[in-house]
Amino acid sequence: MPDPVLLAGDAGVIQIGSAGSIPVSWFLVVSAILFALGTVGVLVRRNPIVILICIELMLNAVNLTLVAFSRQLGNLEGQLFALLVMVVAAAEAVIGLAILVDIFRVRDVDDVDELSELRG
Amino acid sequence: MAIQIFFWFVAALAILGGVGVITFRQPIKNVLSLVGTMLSLALMFLLLSAQFVFVVQIIVYTGAVMVLFLFVVALLGPAREDRAGHLRFHWWLAPLAGLVFLAFVWSMLSGLTYHAAAPVNLNVFGTVASIAVGLFGQYLFPFELTSILLLVAAVGAIYLSRGGYQQGSPDDDKQAELDSPTTHSALPAEDREAEVSTPAAAAGANRTDEKEEPGA
Repeated sequence: MPDPVLLAGDAGVIQIGSAGSIPVSWFLVVSAILFALGTVGVLVRRNPIVILICIELMLNAVNLTLVAFSRQLGNLEGQLFALLVMVVAAAEAVIGLAILVDIFRVRDVDDVDELSELRG
Repeated sequence: MAIQIFFWFVAALAILGGVGVITFRQPIKNVLSLVGTMLSLALMFLLLSAQFVFVVQIIVYTGAVMVLFLFVVALLGPAREDRAGHLRFHWWLAPLAGLVFLAFVWSMLSGLTYHAAAPVNLNVFGTVASIAVGLFGQYLFPFELTSILLLVAAVGAIYLSRGGYQQGSPDDDKQAELDSPTTHSALPAEDREAEVSTPAAAAGANRTDEKEEPGA
């Protein structure tokens, strides 16, 4: 039995335009384009910092899809999931940047192919 | 109609920022492009009546995470990315793979028809109160797990950025009494002897020994 506040379905006290006049598929298309751009960035770029930035771009695209479906279905769980994704993305960025700073202290790295210490 | 024009404007900004993220050669411009994309996405969250996610997107993402990226880029200096990769057909194969992926997603999306958006009470939907009901009610356990994740990330970042990996820097002697015995073993042998010979480090080693005894 879902929470009645989570599924604020009925009433419709105020219906200001917003997603009523913009189809959800438009948001999904923008999200797909952004995710594909992030994928191409991860594949093409050589700088490890830029690769982390592209991963952030992909996570943001996923967030847009989650929030769009949350509005489409009138269900807040998508927004909660987007918030959790933001927390995970922040933790990922912090750890990734700390590792990069630690490596850059020893030597300059401008190509991820040079980072092969963990290969053993 | 005006709101659709606004949507296209914001969408164009977001996609332009995304193109900038993967095309600019200097990392500082990549980061600033991503800031533009995130602000545009925040406006899209507002269009989707997700007020709290909009605020968190601006404060946490563009305010904290992106400033962290800017700080690291400024700390590490300009990077050079002149030569191509080791793979031969890398430069045109990767965009081709991206286009194929986009075509897949596009074909999935174009086959669907959507209902009109569900009617919601915009006095309730997406507000801080309704988010809190979900976050501290049904989803309390995942929320607490993310707090543990953040704690682990903070401790890990402090440990990683403290510089135990570095060899023979002048800061090592100052940090010797703060270091735990495990990081001592990561240092070269002559550094370890030098640290133990200083009285502060010896006192620190004694302290850690005393702490370990009651635990064992």
